[in-house]
Amino acid sequence: MNYFHSTLKIKIFVSIIIILCLLVLYLVLFATRIDPQQQMAQKIFYYHVPSAWTAGLSYLFVAMFGLIYLLKKDEKWDYFSYASAEIGTLFCALVLITGPIWAKPIWGSAWSWEPRLTTVLIMFLIYIGYFLLRNFGDVNERMRRISAVIGILAFANVPIIYLSVKFWNQEAQLHPQPAMGSQPDDVYWTFILSLISFTLLLIYLFSYRVHVLRLKAKLFSDRYDL
Amino acid sequence: MIGILLKKDLLLEVKSREILISMIAFGIAVTLLYAFSFRPSPELVLVFAPGLMWTLFLFISTLAIHRSHSLEKEFDAFSLMLSAPINRSTLFISKCLCSLIFLIISQAILMPVFALFLQIPSFGNISQLIGVFFLVDLGISFSGSLISGAVMRARGNEFLLPLLLYPIVTPLMISAVKSTAAIMSSAEMIEWKLWFQIILTYDIVFGLLGLLSYDYVTEE
Repeated sequence: MNYFHSTLKIKIFVSIIIILCLLVLYLVLFATRIDPQQQMAQKIFYYHVPSAWTAGLSYLFVAMFGLIYLLKKDEKWDYFSYASAEIGTLFCALVLITGPIWAKPIWGSAWSWEPRLTTVLIMFLIYIGYFLLRNFGDVNERMRRISAVIGILAFANVPIIYLSVKFWNQEAQLHPQPAMGSQPDDVYWTFILSLISFTLLLIYLFSYRVHVLRLKAKLFSDRYDL
Repeated sequence: MIGILLKKDLLLEVKSREILISMIAFGIAVTLLYAFSFRPSPELVLVFAPGLMWTLFLFISTLAIHRSHSLEKEFDAFSLMLSAPINRSTLFISKCLCSLIFLIISQAILMPVFALFLQIPSFGNISQLIGVFFLVDLGISFSGSLISGAVMRARGNEFLLPLLLYPIVTPLMISAVKSTAAIMSSAEMIEWKLWFQIILTYDIVFGLLGLLSYDYVTEE
């Protein structure tokens, strides 16, 4: 088995991601305009929103791959699902860190029971349980099935959590919803570039984690044939 | 078949009296702690009581759900039951009904104690309250039985159950607290209809998911 980063394809892919991330950082800090109301705090938007997008996409993959695993019983779908869960939780944590950093100067308090932020927090907690379950149980076929079901349950619960939190605290400061189409070019293209770099990062992390899980499986003489 | 499985669980409880007694004793102990921790005025108690009440009921439901599944682990009874020609969804429904019955009985006993210790002047429209309690209990039983069935054979299952269950039931708890508070303050149903709809949605989603996936989580 090759070292993951030894292939030229991966080297080029990683280089593109690094260049894109540095470019986004430059654009965010020096090229995009400073919002007159929010000042520098607004800049976190270029990282907060793509993190949320990546987390949401990853959790969708957890449910999707979990469902495929339940139907096909092929272990590779469990590895895909587990890798997506790890990445989703990582980006969920980033959302939960960047959200309060932005909220403190803008809303005056680091935490507000805003529906989307609260939904992310609840999803984060569900996935902490998911990882503990994977760590405490022997990773066998039954545990993989259970993880798949928890992943589906968690995803199916998202709209119910969102709605209940939204109606629970209607007076909460609502999340800003800028219409991206009407944004000036520097804001719009930096945001799009950031979104692309986060999506590519998701693909890279996903492939890397699947590779590591595959190695682990081989190490423990698990049957795995990708 | 559901009747037979339910009878088995209820008979076990009648003989051992483990689950109900522990639920009620734990419920009274926590209510006592609430009463000592808060000395709210009669107006304020109506604000806090629904939240305290549902937190308490969620805690005691965890006890019941965990115990009813962990009893099956003794002598590997669950594996034997799985090897019987029973549809897994039947097993799921019997577990849910059993938890539901335990929860309803313990709530019927704990509610007067709760009202007495926290000096709650009125519970509002009792028939509406019973309806909401029943549907919320059903939601807790659906999600609790599914998760408990999933984690029962994992190490540390006793804390994995609340860790997974509590965040998952958050929307149900929010809706339960809001609708109970509205009923206790004699609000019109139109004001809390939305919460009732969320409870119903939760019940339908988790009931269906439980029926469809219990087979996968319990399969050997």
